[in-house]
Amino acid sequence: MKIAVDAMGGDYAPAEIIKGVELARDAYSDVEFLVYGQEEQVKPLIQNDSRITLVPAAEVIAMEDEPVRAIRRKKQSSIVLAANAVKDGEADAFFSAGNSGAVLAAGLLIVGRIKGIARPGLTTTLPVLRKPDQSSFVMLDVGANADTKPFNVVQYAVMGQYYAQSIMHVKQPRIGLLNNGTEADKGDMAHQAIYQALDSIDSINFIGNVESRELLNGAADVVVTDGFTGNATLKAIEGTALSMLKLIKGEIMSGGLGGKIGASMLKPVFKNVQSAMDYSQYGGAVLLGLKAPVVKTHGSSKAPTVKNTIGQIRELIETKSADQLVSYFADHTDEMAALKESLK
Amino acid sequence: MTRAEIFDKIADIIADRFETDRDQINEQLNFKKDLDADSIDFVEFVLELEDTFNAEISDEDAEKLMTVGEVVDYIVAHQTEDK
Repeated sequence: MKIAVDAMGGDYAPAEIIKGVELARDAYSDVEFLVYGQEEQVKPLIQNDSRITLVPAAEVIAMEDEPVRAIRRKKQSSIVLAANAVKDGEADAFFSAGNSGAVLAAGLLIVGRIKGIARPGLTTTLPVLRKPDQSSFVMLDVGANADTKPFNVVQYAVMGQYYAQSIMHVKQPRIGLLNNGTEADKGDMAHQAIYQALDSIDSINFIGNVESRELLNGAADVVVTDGFTGNATLKAIEGTALSMLKLIKGEIMSGGLGGKIGASMLKPVFKNVQSAMDYSQYGGAVLLGLKAPVVKTHGSSKAPTVKNTIGQIRELIETKSADQLVSYFADHTDEMAALKESLK
Repeated sequence: MTRAEIFDKIADIIADRFETDRDQINEQLNFKKDLDADSIDFVEFVLELEDTFNAEISDEDAEKLMTVGEVVDYIVAHQTEDK
C-alpha cells in the first residue's frame, strides 16, 4: 500500500514529518510512501530512502491561505499534488499536518466524495476513562461543515459505524446522537427529526441521545452531531482537560513544601492521567465519506504522532473502510433518498 | 465544440452530480433555486467543469454564474483552441 504524505504541513514540518515517516516505514513493512515537498528542504532530512519516494512540490499552502482558493490556485503545492496522487490511484491515502481547511478542501474537491454521501464528516477518536471494556469513542462531525443539515447527521451514523468497526474493532458499535438530554423528545426540532430517522435505520445500532458530560465515560462508541456543535464540544473537552491540569499544577506550586512532597509522591499517578488523556496515540482526524482515507493530524504533531497516524491510515486501507462505505451507499440509495425527503 | 455539444456535456455532469432527471435540465435552470446547490456543491461543479473543458474559471467569474445557460455561454466564450 502507498500513502501520499504532505511533508510541508505542520508546525515542525518537514523535519518531524520525515522523522515520523521513517519511524512508520521501519514499523510497517507493507507501506510505501510518496512524500511531497520542497526538494532542497526535504531531501537532506531523509536518512534512508528505502520505500520513500520524494516528489518535488514547488509550492506550499501556508496556514493563513484561504483554503478553497489555495487548492484551486496552488496546483504545484504539496497538498494538491498529494491529493491528486490519491485521485489518480497512485496512492491509497493522503496524510497531512498542514492547513486544516486546505486539507479538508483537497479531500472534498480533489479526492472526492463517495457517491450517495452528501457531506463528509471530520471524525476524531477520544479517550474513554476508567471503563474496563472501552478505551475510546469516535465523534463526527467535529468541524468539516459549519452548516450541517439533519440528513448529513443521519449519514454520519452509518459512516461512523464502519469507521468504529475498522479502527476500534467493535462489531456492533453503539451509536448515540449528541443532545441536551437522553429522552427521545429532547432537543430542538432538527434533533427530534434526526432521532426518528436514526431509529428507523435497521443496519445501525442506535442507542438514542447522549449528553456531552457522559462522552468520556463511554456513553456510546460513535457519537454523531453537526459540525458546529461537534467542533465546540471537542474544544470544550480539550480546554477543560488543560484547565484542570493548570489548576492542579497551580495548587501544588502554591501549596508549600507539603504540596510539593505530596505531588512528587503522586508523580506516577499524574503520568498515568497524562497518558490516558493523550489522544495523539489515536492518530489524526479522518475526513470520512471520501473515496480514499484523508487524514489530518494536529499541526503541532511530532514524529511519534505522525507514526501513529500512519498506523491508523494503514488499518483504514487494510480494512477497506472506504470500499465498505461505497457498497453500503450503493445498496441503500432508496432508503437514503426516502430519509432525505423525510428530513427536508 | 459547438454550443449544443457543450450544453449536452454540462447537462450530463449536472444530472449526475445533482441527481436530477437529465430530461428536465434546460438553460433556465437556476443552481441555487432549482437544484438546491450550496456553495460546496457549486465549487465541486466548477472544478469538474475546469477538468472537463480544460478551462480556468476564476472565483469572481464563478460567483456570477447562476443558471445552466450562463455556464454554457461562459464555456463557449472561454474554451481553449485545441479542444
